[in-house]
Amino acid sequence: MNKRIFLTLISLILVLAVLTTGCAKAASGDQSLKKVQDAKTLVLGLDDAFPPMGYRNESNDIVGFDVDVAKEVAKRMGVELKLQPIDWSQKFNELNAGTIDCIWNGYTITEERLQETNVTSAYMKNRQIVIVLADSPVQSLADLAGKKLALQAESSAAEALESKPDFKASLGEVIELKDNVTALLDLKASGSDALLVDEIVAGYYIAREGKQYRILDEALAEEEYGVGFRKADQALRDEVQKQLEAMAKDGTLAKISTEWFSKDITTIGK
Amino acid sequence: MVTFQILPYLLEGTWRALQIFILTLVFSIPLGIVIARLRQSTVRIIQLPVRFYLLIMRGTPLILQLIFFMYFPPFVLGIPIGRFTAVILAFSLNYAAYFAEIFRGGLESIPRGQFEAGHVLGFSSGQTFTRIILPQVIKRILPPSASEAMTLIKDTALAQIIGVAELFRAAQNSTSRLVSIEPIIAAGVIYLILNSLVALVFSRFEKKLSYYRH
Repeated sequence: MNKRIFLTLISLILVLAVLTTGCAKAASGDQSLKKVQDAKTLVLGLDDAFPPMGYRNESNDIVGFDVDVAKEVAKRMGVELKLQPIDWSQKFNELNAGTIDCIWNGYTITEERLQETNVTSAYMKNRQIVIVLADSPVQSLADLAGKKLALQAESSAAEALESKPDFKASLGEVIELKDNVTALLDLKASGSDALLVDEIVAGYYIAREGKQYRILDEALAEEEYGVGFRKADQALRDEVQKQLEAMAKDGTLAKISTEWFSKDITTIGK
Repeated sequence: MVTFQILPYLLEGTWRALQIFILTLVFSIPLGIVIARLRQSTVRIIQLPVRFYLLIMRGTPLILQLIFFMYFPPFVLGIPIGRFTAVILAFSLNYAAYFAEIFRGGLESIPRGQFEAGHVLGFSSGQTFTRIILPQVIKRILPPSASEAMTLIKDTALAQIIGVAELFRAAQNSTSRLVSIEPIIAAGVIYLILNSLVALVFSRFEKKLSYYRH
């Protein structure tokens, strides 16, 4: 009998402990910005195989347009930027587990993502475009009926496709691949007939690979990039938003954009 | 040849893969021995949880276990766990389950009569185990253990799902930048070299222990 009382007491204490820590967290309000400032680091989660927004260069450093912008934002916030490569399919898990502070890597603003995360206003426009091999007979989206379309799993391309159920139904097969380059190699090897991908990303590959590919004139969806934060992290999101606006105003954003895309294609504050 | 240009990067990934390999063996082999002994217990309260553990670890994908150990503790308990720690935890618990069953198979292949014979010859049960049973068990479990170790080398590629940049991830990143499958082939060659070494070490070991065969 004694043992039972002891066990009940222990479980009561445990339950109380869990409850009180829960309350303590809820009562302390939005500490997101303070936490980053105290730690003096902003942890940015990215898919480091996503050129030209964030990828590894010849010397294995993570570079890219988003990386350069984020570095400048961190500098202005007086914190250090830590680039944390993640698996793109795990981005919400990473954010919710607190292992990263933000998702900043060609993060397309979508309905679903607005519900999952707290996103800054858009800093760049993007389209979901379709790439085919240069000698492919496919000229329009309608020509893709019954054909195989490749895309990156868990990407905004996948969401763009979901938003066009008629087009999706017309396709023969949708092939979800791990990253865009695998999808591109798949296209090259004729494993698929077309690739649905971000225009910004496609630009990098086409610039590299040249005339092997052709972009269809018809685009699937117009969309925009933003920076994603945890839903509760309003203060941190506002601070980054403020810095981005300041950088747009003093021309820093235009300068970084010109370095990467040879023109200013940013949209914040415009 | 871009392979030479990206080799330092691939080697960095190789070192990461080797760290996972070594640490997993260091933790999972002793753990496997303990689990094998517990699994042999006739006490139900010991045997049943162990069987449940073996079922979970062998019955769900390792990639799922990796995601679980990385994101479940911080999300539910509020305790962050390092990426690398999560990898080692998941790999060690997973491989301990497989090693445990290999060890148990080895232990149970020794006829009971040998324990009795040892007792009759005046050995204590501890001596019987370490001097008579164990040397035979080790010989028998070497071939399946070698296969398990080789599988482990290849499984290290799964660690990338929680953001640990091992060899395969390094190769894929290079592939992304260069739009070429050459880095993947180079990684394949590295895996093959590593596993040739593992196979070699095990076959040397086997030869060394085959003292009764001529």
